[in-house]
Amino acid sequence: MAHQADLLPGTLDLLILKAVSLGAQHGYGVLLRIEQITGGALAIEQGALYPALYRLEHQGLLDTKWGTSDNNRKAKFYSLTAAGRRRLKAETERWNRSALAMNTALRAQEG
Amino acid sequence: MALVSRVRSWWRGIRHRSDIERGMSEELQFHLACRAQDLAERRGLRPEDAMRLARLEFGSLEKYKEETRASLGLALVDQLHGDIRYALRTFGRSKGFTAAALITLALGIGANTAIFSLVDAVMMRLLPVDKPQELVQLRLQEPGAEPGGGFTNALWEAIRNQQDVFSGVFAWSTPKPFDLGRGGIVQTVRGLMVSGSYFTTLGVEAAAGRLLTDDDDRRGCAPVAVLSYGFWRTHFAGTPGALGSSISLNRQTFVVIGVSAPRFFGVEVGKAFDVAIPLCASALFDKRNLDSRSRWWLSIMGRAKPGLTPEQIAGRLRVLSPSIMSAAAEPDRNSERQGRFLRTVLIASAAAQGPSELRRVFGEPLILLMTMVAFVLLIACANIAGLMLARARSRAKEIAIRTALGASRGRLIRQMLTESVLVSALGAGFGLLFARWGAALLLRELATARNPVFVDLSLDWSVLAFAAAVAILTGSLIGLVPAVRFTGMSLIAAMKSSQSAGTERRSRPRAGSWIVAGQVALSLVLLIGGGLLLRTFVTLLTLDMGFDRSNVLVVIAKAPWFAADIVKTPPEQRSVVYDEIASRVRALPGVLSVARAFTTPIGDDNWFTPISVDTRGAPAGEDASVSFNFVTPGYFTTLRTPLIAGRDFDARDTKQSTPVAIVNQTLARRFFSDANVVGKYFRKPDRSTPIEIVGIVKDSKYESVREPIPPTAFLPAPQAPPRGEAEEFLVRTSTPSSALIPAIQAIATQVSAEVPLEFHTLAEQIDDDLVQERLLATLAGFFGALALLLATIGLYGVLSYLVTHRQVEFGIRMALGATPGSIRRLVMRDVIVVVTAGVGAGLAAASVAVALLRSMLFGVEPRDAATIVAAVCLLSATALAAGYLPARRATRVDPMLALRSE
Repeated sequence: MAHQADLLPGTLDLLILKAVSLGAQHGYGVLLRIEQITGGALAIEQGALYPALYRLEHQGLLDTKWGTSDNNRKAKFYSLTAAGRRRLKAETERWNRSALAMNTALRAQEG
Repeated sequence: MALVSRVRSWWRGIRHRSDIERGMSEELQFHLACRAQDLAERRGLRPEDAMRLARLEFGSLEKYKEETRASLGLALVDQLHGDIRYALRTFGRSKGFTAAALITLALGIGANTAIFSLVDAVMMRLLPVDKPQELVQLRLQEPGAEPGGGFTNALWEAIRNQQDVFSGVFAWSTPKPFDLGRGGIVQTVRGLMVSGSYFTTLGVEAAAGRLLTDDDDRRGCAPVAVLSYGFWRTHFAGTPGALGSSISLNRQTFVVIGVSAPRFFGVEVGKAFDVAIPLCASALFDKRNLDSRSRWWLSIMGRAKPGLTPEQIAGRLRVLSPSIMSAAAEPDRNSERQGRFLRTVLIASAAAQGPSELRRVFGEPLILLMTMVAFVLLIACANIAGLMLARARSRAKEIAIRTALGASRGRLIRQMLTESVLVSALGAGFGLLFARWGAALLLRELATARNPVFVDLSLDWSVLAFAAAVAILTGSLIGLVPAVRFTGMSLIAAMKSSQSAGTERRSRPRAGSWIVAGQVALSLVLLIGGGLLLRTFVTLLTLDMGFDRSNVLVVIAKAPWFAADIVKTPPEQRSVVYDEIASRVRALPGVLSVARAFTTPIGDDNWFTPISVDTRGAPAGEDASVSFNFVTPGYFTTLRTPLIAGRDFDARDTKQSTPVAIVNQTLARRFFSDANVVGKYFRKPDRSTPIEIVGIVKDSKYESVREPIPPTAFLPAPQAPPRGEAEEFLVRTSTPSSALIPAIQAIATQVSAEVPLEFHTLAEQIDDDLVQERLLATLAGFFGALALLLATIGLYGVLSYLVTHRQVEFGIRMALGATPGSIRRLVMRDVIVVVTAGVGAGLAAASVAVALLRSMLFGVEPRDAATIVAAVCLLSATALAAGYLPARRATRVDPMLALRSE
């Protein structure tokens, strides 16, 4: 936990989409899953998660349903819509392209 | 897709707000509970401590909730909601201001919407028929002449039979007065004569029964009629019993077969119809309607076949034209005219809005009125902006506190704009009601008893959109200046704001001064425009028309031209009947004299023929055209047109006697360049014998008030050519003449039950000719006065404010020995600067704007010095008076009081 990196702007949405794409989750679950899939390397503000979730829902990328959690409480579950899946794919490609470009650029400087 | 889901989610957010709030809270509570459970398990904490830690980690719940709301797009809604509530509370606190602003805006926006709804209905709206964009109107383009829209029945039949570019084509006559009565006083309804294809091509549905088809329109057809929806409701109370019943139109019996759709008024904007009959039935009124090849009484429209471009249609029509024209040519024309006729081509122009005489005549005046009323609204806006400015000043502290508490400038401007837009939206709401009433009133002013005007003023989207746009625009205009000025000022200055006399404070009210200068400029433009139109109207009213219009009753005894056959008595016998009626009317008490004429001054009929004279250098060809009238003895006495030389007609002038004429001064001057032409001769092309001039009368107007007086010749009624029968009575009475109508009616019925009679006064006949001028002068004068009033109020308000703010300064000055006179001068100097600047700008603007008016003026130049000087004087005097009151108050300041208030 000592070397947590700050989140790059705009990446939280992508991480949420990725986390939800692995299966419907409630808000806290999304947080845990992001921690899990990033190996805890990225610092995520707990509260910031909700504005992002609502925004994605607002944009029609996430679907919500009230259900019961593992610990038997009423919870709101998020799942990916078709539009969300498309967006995740597009954003992933974009991310890969720019990451590749960045890597190439930085390597060229070294050499 | 994304947009749709956003709007849906937004809407849900507004509709189910409490659900969303509850959901949000539950979700966050769930999050905290889970986190606390995890922490408790991981670090072995007690549940309360775990919960506390979870909360601590999470941070401010409210802050994230707010961000979440924002991401749903709800923050804006929330703020707007708050702003509106706050604005309403503010209105409640300053009722006077709110009422003044609301009334001003309601009137201003209402007047704009009223004029716009006319502009929309007359100039912009598409015809209420099926796919109006496909409709085109046909015109005839004679070589070297303006295109004309009139057709003969022969041309219509040729076009109908030969054209192949339209999926449907139809002909119609402009609505004409049909007489619903069976003799006696004429009961006019508006009758449309249409081809069988009219309703089917337009795609108009029947509201009851059936509409006309091609089968109803064959020569010798059965007399059937379709009613308009409005006429069916008013005349038959909308009962199904109307179908199959019969009505009398111009004394012919017609069977009602159906009623047209409710909103269908015909294809001519400004006119509506009551009944429609097939073209073939017009032969019952007058056979020449169908047979004459020189009766130009039809208009034609077609629906373009899908896929044809306008160029293709034009090309095909050009190809078809020669065979159509030759099929409809009049046999006995002279060769030159025949050649021109045969070379005439058919042209088509888009007619989605329908042709409109009203649009042609009132289009320009309506645009002018729209401009004027927009100016008035601008001036009114300036006043309210001034009020808002003053109010914003008194709210400076509030604004400063809000800024100190972290409100951004944009947020404050938004809040102030919400207030002003809310006022103007409320104003527009009331204005819309006022507009409905105002537009109907305007329309009533346009219409006269003899010339009904129908315009569909039902509310449509474009009018509502216009009102909304004006409301938002005015709201922003009146709110923006104060908002921007007062949110940008320094906090410290605002917080300690008292009525201090610092230099910074002194400069501020100047913004108001510039607004007032703008108002003065706009008012001056309106005053000059209004003054010119008023002078035009007064000139026309007081014009010497060459006759005396007061106490003259016009009684029209003839059937309209398209229904000449319905009067069975031949003309010679008719004149005997008329003479009998005239002599009995003459015996009525109160009647001074009676005469008959073919047409009465400023009437509906005219007769032009070229004449020839022996004088060298006399006009020839088109220039030799002379207006004719055929009158009985006593015509000039009845009209009080002075006889200048020679004699009036008398019993000696009969059909067999020497042809004689009385001419007006213009004819004498133009054809003989001689004042005394009695005893000279002229010739008419239809008669071989020369006509002797036996008298000269003073020039008088013939057909319209605005025309230059044409050369006019009067022939005795017995010597009139065929169809020039004198069938309009003029009755001069010693008292207002309408009272005599029943008596004359009774006499006519006794003499002959057949004579149809239509009554109006000569004064009415002239008033009808001046509808446009009267309307423009009234409205322009009204708008000008309103502008002056508003500008005066604005000036007074701004100066009062300025004086109040400079009280301390004045107090000090007076304490130091300034005289009341010098203080007054100080204030008045400001007034003079503002008014001079405004007048200067106004004059510059007016010199450009009056060009718009040129075509609407009569007897006065657009840059009429007298009008301009009068407008400037009126405006300056009023403005100075408005400024003097506050100036005088400035000198009443008690120095001690003023100083203590510091």
